[in-house]
Amino acid sequence: MEIEVTESGAIAELSDGGQHLGRRAVVRVGAGVGLGGAALSLLPFLAGHAAASATTEPAGTEAATTTAPPQRPSSEDVTLLGFAQQVEATAVALYNEALKVEGWSDQQAVVVTFIRDAHLAYAQSLSGLLGRDAPNSISQNLFGANKSAFSGAVDEVLAAAEALESTAVATHGDVISKLVGTDAASLIASIQMNEARYCTVLADLAGETDPTVLLVDEEAAFLVGEG
Amino acid sequence: MTNEDVQITDTTGVDRRGLFRLGGLTAAALALAACADNTVAGTVGRVGEGGTVPTLEDPIVNDGVMLRTMAGIFTSIANAYSHILDGGFLAKPSTTLPDLGDQTELVTLFQAHHTAAAETFNALAVEAGAEAWTCGNTRLDSASINPIFKRVEDGAPATDNSKAIGPSDDPTRDYINLVHSLESMSASSCQAMVPVLSEAAMRFTSMQIGVRSARQAALIALRIFPGGYVASIGESTTPEDVATTTIQAADGAAPPPTAIPLPVALPARYGLLSPTTFIGGAGDENGVRLKVNFETPSLNAFAYPFSSCP
Repeated sequence: MEIEVTESGAIAELSDGGQHLGRRAVVRVGAGVGLGGAALSLLPFLAGHAAASATTEPAGTEAATTTAPPQRPSSEDVTLLGFAQQVEATAVALYNEALKVEGWSDQQAVVVTFIRDAHLAYAQSLSGLLGRDAPNSISQNLFGANKSAFSGAVDEVLAAAEALESTAVATHGDVISKLVGTDAASLIASIQMNEARYCTVLADLAGETDPTVLLVDEEAAFLVGEG
Repeated sequence: MTNEDVQITDTTGVDRRGLFRLGGLTAAALALAACADNTVAGTVGRVGEGGTVPTLEDPIVNDGVMLRTMAGIFTSIANAYSHILDGGFLAKPSTTLPDLGDQTELVTLFQAHHTAAAETFNALAVEAGAEAWTCGNTRLDSASINPIFKRVEDGAPATDNSKAIGPSDDPTRDYINLVHSLESMSASSCQAMVPVLSEAAMRFTSMQIGVRSARQAALIALRIFPGGYVASIGESTTPEDVATTTIQAADGAAPPPTAIPLPVALPARYGLLSPTTFIGGAGDENGVRLKVNFETPSLNAFAYPFSSCP
């Protein structure tokens, strides 16, 4: 399973050679380059400032000090967060397919709708964090690989949804292990925390009673880095 | 009558009111003169003998402090579960939650997770240059967990202005709710570590542990309240007698005890950092049960370098 790398907003418009490059696109590209240049030029200063402000112990003391990490996402973070947003957007599309299936009980429909709406909120939050760098698109590979499972019988959909949530948890864990900026890490952590709960809820909704399944002792493989 | 009319006074004679005014003005003038007299601030004298003012140690907050604080929190939770399991409370039937069943095995599983997590946090703390914290978090134990145990099992003695409170009317209900509160708090605490830990690898490990705690919180919520996935479902499908423990008081009878809300598996769309409220024990003379907020670690709960296990 893989996620394709979607080129971010303005760059995607440039790479589409068949289309006319409008004035708005030129402005967006210019703004993007400007921001990138500013981030690069300010980075050494900001890094040095953060280290100096966090190291409060006078020289000679043995107490360990902690260098404060940056808050804003780095350029590498942006790529990872783009992956994460694609996962969330794809989950919304898959749950939309699932909700077309007939046979949901009222309770199941409420829970699945709640989870679908939550994934939409996650995609929107990441879009807000990434700004114009947000892919705002689904992963066609991920969607294509899971669409049939999300369109089957209710039990099959619940099992597929549980696997998807577990994969999302693993993916976000992998993203957190690579993120530098704390703003993004905080957001992904709050998303991951609830997606972990979805696994348990979906398993319970499917009638599962085994604690090892309900607590997902075996987490699914993550997606990041396999694309 | 106008304002001008009121302000016209007879100043020719000195009556009793005038004397009072003069006296007041004189006293005020003397007080001002006394203040202006001494302009040199002297050192406050000491009476008796006393030690020198102690110098407080620097409250350093770094990765090591955070990680050993988390080790203490998870040890406190494991110790709390030991207390609950050793007392056999979860094996007893609950009058409030008749369908709960024996949750001993599940909570034993949870306890193993917290013990392993404490070891993991301690290993990370040592890597970060701190000493391992091998006991429970002193603040969590003294301010939250121990008072709950005392209130549930012993009640509270009478004081000058309040009557005695008896032991809990349903310890099984209280302790399974405590398990849910502690699981929720441990998940929130792991999430709260993400923006404050400096290394991405530490954040990852903290979230790995937190994810498991979140699932345990969801599972125990479903055991307490089967079918309580989200709040909107709970409101529509829960039978009246299970939704809360509120009892309607008859005329002249004691007031009903504080209602205990049932937990749901998905309390919000995002992982919460807000306090988790525990409500339990028997109600006091006004029906008010014990309420304790479990919060993510903060300055008064950190295991600073100068702190040590009691």
